[in-house]
Amino acid sequence: MTEKQKGPMTLSRFDKLASNRQRLLLVGVFGFIVVLFVFPLIASGFWMRTLTLLFLLAAMAQGWNFIGGYTGYAAFGNVAFFGIGAYGTALSMLRLHFPFLPALLVGGAAAMAFAVVIGLPVLRLKGHYFAIATVALATALGEVADFWTDFTGGAAGLTLPFFRPISLSNYFFYYLALLLVLLGLGLTYLIMNRKLGYSWVAIREDEDAAKMMGINTTWAKVVAFALSALMAGLAGGIYAYWNTFVLAEEVFKIEYTLQMILATVLGGPGTIFGPFIGAFMYYILITLLVFFLPVGQLHETILGTIIILVMVFTPQGIMDFLSGRKKLTLSSLLENIRMHRV
Amino acid sequence: MKRTIQLLLVLVLILSVILAGCAKGESKQAESKECVITFGAAVSLTGKYAKEGEYVKNGYELYVEEINKQGGIKVGDKTCKVALKIYDDQSNADRSAQLVEKLITEDKVQYLLGPYGSGNTYATTAIAEKYQVPMVEANGAATKIFKRGFKYSFAVLTPAPYYLRGIIDMALDADPNLKTVAIVAENGAFALEVAQGAKDYAEEKGLQVVYFDKYAKNTKDVSSLITAIKAKNPDILLGAGHLQDTLLIVKQSKDLNVSPKVMGFSVGPTAPEFRNALGKDADYIVGGAQWTPELKIQAEDVFGTPQKFAELYKAKYGEIPPYQAAESAAALIAYQKAIEAAGTLDKDKVRDALAALDFMSFYGRLKFNEQGMNVYKPMAVMQNYPDGKLYTVWPKEAATKPFLYPFKPWDQR
Amino acid sequence: MSSLELTQGVVNAILLSGTLALVAIGFSIVWGILNIINIAHGAFIMLGAYITYWLFTLFGIDPFLSIPLSMLTLFIVGYLIQRYLINLVIRAPLLVTFLLTFAMEIVIINLATFFWKGDLRSVTPAYSGAGLTLGMVQIPYIRLAAFFISLFLTGLLHVFMTYTKAGNAIRATGMDIDAARLQGVKIAHTYALTFAIGSALAGAAGSLISVSFPIDPTMGGAYTLRAFLICVLGGLGSIPAVMLGALVYAFIEVFSGIYAPGLKDAIALFVLVLVLIVRPTGIAGKAFYH
Repeated sequence: MTEKQKGPMTLSRFDKLASNRQRLLLVGVFGFIVVLFVFPLIASGFWMRTLTLLFLLAAMAQGWNFIGGYTGYAAFGNVAFFGIGAYGTALSMLRLHFPFLPALLVGGAAAMAFAVVIGLPVLRLKGHYFAIATVALATALGEVADFWTDFTGGAAGLTLPFFRPISLSNYFFYYLALLLVLLGLGLTYLIMNRKLGYSWVAIREDEDAAKMMGINTTWAKVVAFALSALMAGLAGGIYAYWNTFVLAEEVFKIEYTLQMILATVLGGPGTIFGPFIGAFMYYILITLLVFFLPVGQLHETILGTIIILVMVFTPQGIMDFLSGRKKLTLSSLLENIRMHRV
Repeated sequence: MKRTIQLLLVLVLILSVILAGCAKGESKQAESKECVITFGAAVSLTGKYAKEGEYVKNGYELYVEEINKQGGIKVGDKTCKVALKIYDDQSNADRSAQLVEKLITEDKVQYLLGPYGSGNTYATTAIAEKYQVPMVEANGAATKIFKRGFKYSFAVLTPAPYYLRGIIDMALDADPNLKTVAIVAENGAFALEVAQGAKDYAEEKGLQVVYFDKYAKNTKDVSSLITAIKAKNPDILLGAGHLQDTLLIVKQSKDLNVSPKVMGFSVGPTAPEFRNALGKDADYIVGGAQWTPELKIQAEDVFGTPQKFAELYKAKYGEIPPYQAAESAAALIAYQKAIEAAGTLDKDKVRDALAALDFMSFYGRLKFNEQGMNVYKPMAVMQNYPDGKLYTVWPKEAATKPFLYPFKPWDQR
Repeated sequence: MSSLELTQGVVNAILLSGTLALVAIGFSIVWGILNIINIAHGAFIMLGAYITYWLFTLFGIDPFLSIPLSMLTLFIVGYLIQRYLINLVIRAPLLVTFLLTFAMEIVIINLATFFWKGDLRSVTPAYSGAGLTLGMVQIPYIRLAAFFISLFLTGLLHVFMTYTKAGNAIRATGMDIDAARLQGVKIAHTYALTFAIGSALAGAAGSLISVSFPIDPTMGGAYTLRAFLICVLGGLGSIPAVMLGALVYAFIEVFSGIYAPGLKDAIALFVLVLVLIVRPTGIAGKAFYH
């Protein structure tokens, strides 16, 4: 019951940073980010909205990457932090009359605080039990928010004022969300270069050995959990103001947890750019399936099939292929089955 | 080789983003000589509200078909055909909002129609208001939607707090000695308003509310609730929720032998689904109805009378129209009359014309208060008769059959 | 609360626990032996329910008689899925199998919605609604039958696991896979058999549920969640542990339904988290399945 995720050797990745392939990848990603900055000049409202959602997803995925990818604790309830961020921001704006940006920080801080309080007991669990506990918490929290009308507005939710001027609203949220993604990238990079990052990987590879080496595993785990909460919480706060309303059944949806995990797994868990690339791939795919291709009602079947194929053939995501660690051959695709079959 | 593959992947990513952006520049409609008015809507064609969403879509489409037969809507001295652009929001408020934004910014529809359900309507009216595009909705009855000071949203349907009033009036008319009522509601924006409105009205009428509680959305089991209600032995049982939960409540009150003198629900009993799912168990149960095909109305619109609408609907879709279909068509009629009055397709002028509208349609009176709600149309009541059919039993002037009172207890059936 | 509510509540809880035990038992053997949390368990329950529905609606087959058919169908489906899909990645980290079963659930539900529409359906045989009346307490016949059938199937499972060669092979595999392999147990087949049994039991549960509750393609998720809760509450170690968990959970659900209808799930979930923190092996459980 104590399986950990076997991930790529992230430590050596940085040694290889000077290699051509890595450099190319870096250039590619940064070029892409520049394009994203310029994109609103040519994009329609729909695409800006789609990309904004995508950025929020990418941010949440980056957060999940801390606890799930690097540290190897498969948290399945991170949408709880998204919801807390959303409600925290909304309530600060409505009840305490904070302007948006301070309220956003309150939302993020509330999510972090919750993660610390809950994390201390729950992070003692391992594997399946940890996963279930997090799911249970997220679901329960959603119900409480739905029910507690006096505090959270109950099923009717909370309404926030529009961002004014309305004509700039799409731009404001687009860039804010993009900044959040950059924050995530920056955070990941900074941490992975420091002891904290190494601690995470050590925990994932062998927690007992890590403890014996003197790493304060409890602290490291809680920090990972709290940072994942911060990312999700900030995303939630942005989402709340952007949407202008907060409904419990919307901000505590399990779909969001699944999307952030999928994005990370698709792109490459335990890597810096993995969640970002994975979020892009996943979300563009979904958008095409839902809005543009005539698959209509079967888009979930297609999505599910893709997930199954990915889980069977490339559960480490595409990062390994992109960074040159693996070649894109039939043999490497079958490797996963060879390693993990009965 | 590896380098190429990887470069390719990155390029593909960039290209897809650029192409997507260029999609904005595409104009979907070629310049045509004919003028076409396009109405856009995100409707729940799949998911939780798929059934009701289908009724909504049918209503919209039936109107468009009929009006185009007459040439279209008169705008000044031209007559413009009507077109619809409908997307499936999968009963999901997020999706609904995204789709409405797409309709406005990409598909460039001129006016918006509402989705199904208060939740989705709440989300999409915000988008419409942001872009200042009029939205006339027909399926979101929660008053919350209209408490935000929006100028561009209008609702043709009677708001939620009024839904169960007809049943209460009718019950008291049949038996003035009724004393107690139990009210249950699904924990959702719409249902809670219906329940609260019912409670307030019941108390106004001198009834005692002996049980008033909500149950979780999508609950699979209400036997605890029914058990608690049984203990209070109410004269009237009222429920506010959606078809799913209504079916559950009926089934489980049969299981537990709970038989009030009047059993009524805000949503459910008037849908063909209800009778199909319950068979004989549906007998005697009443439901609030925004509209029924038996109402006696003479209107100056494309349908003329409720009976004519029902006839056309049945011919096209094979069943009697539920009220969701009628009110959806009514939304388009509201637009038609407003556009005709304004004489132009200018969004703001049409909006003003909507605000000033006062028209008797086949659906009932269409008039909006300053918040955009239609508080001028009364609610009717329908009852499932033992002969397997649904009849309008209230108001008396429009009733085709008398209200069967009392509810025949489960153990006597 | 009144004594009526109390007694009816107790009766409801006991009756409910039977079906819930059936729901949870299939889930628990898959978890205990294969170490897989089958998110698609609810989808199998749904399939069982629909099989009963269609047999009843199209051919007039009594829902209780359709149980063997739904069990057989799900058995075959489960065997194939395990043998030819899940077995491919069974030794991968938990996340992989979690997401795999989650994807399976998405696909199954989506296909079901596509073919059968999202409408609610009901299986209402002529005798539904009839029941015993003891004083003021109602005991619907259907629920009573469901209770006894669940007990029967659970007992059957216990007999199978304890006294048949295949059953022993399954338990051995769960205890020590290498030793089992050395003894000649065919692991791939045994795994598939286990999953097949779990699915068959899910199918039976679905059939029973279809007679008391309206069904729709999305009905399964709530049952998967309850299966989780029950396994954690009672513990994975043995069949009686699961039954105990089902009983405890049924009481929590019924009585929080009376007191705080909107918070039913939240209460159960908080209890779950508490149990996990305080006693992760559950009330009666052991660390491994035996």
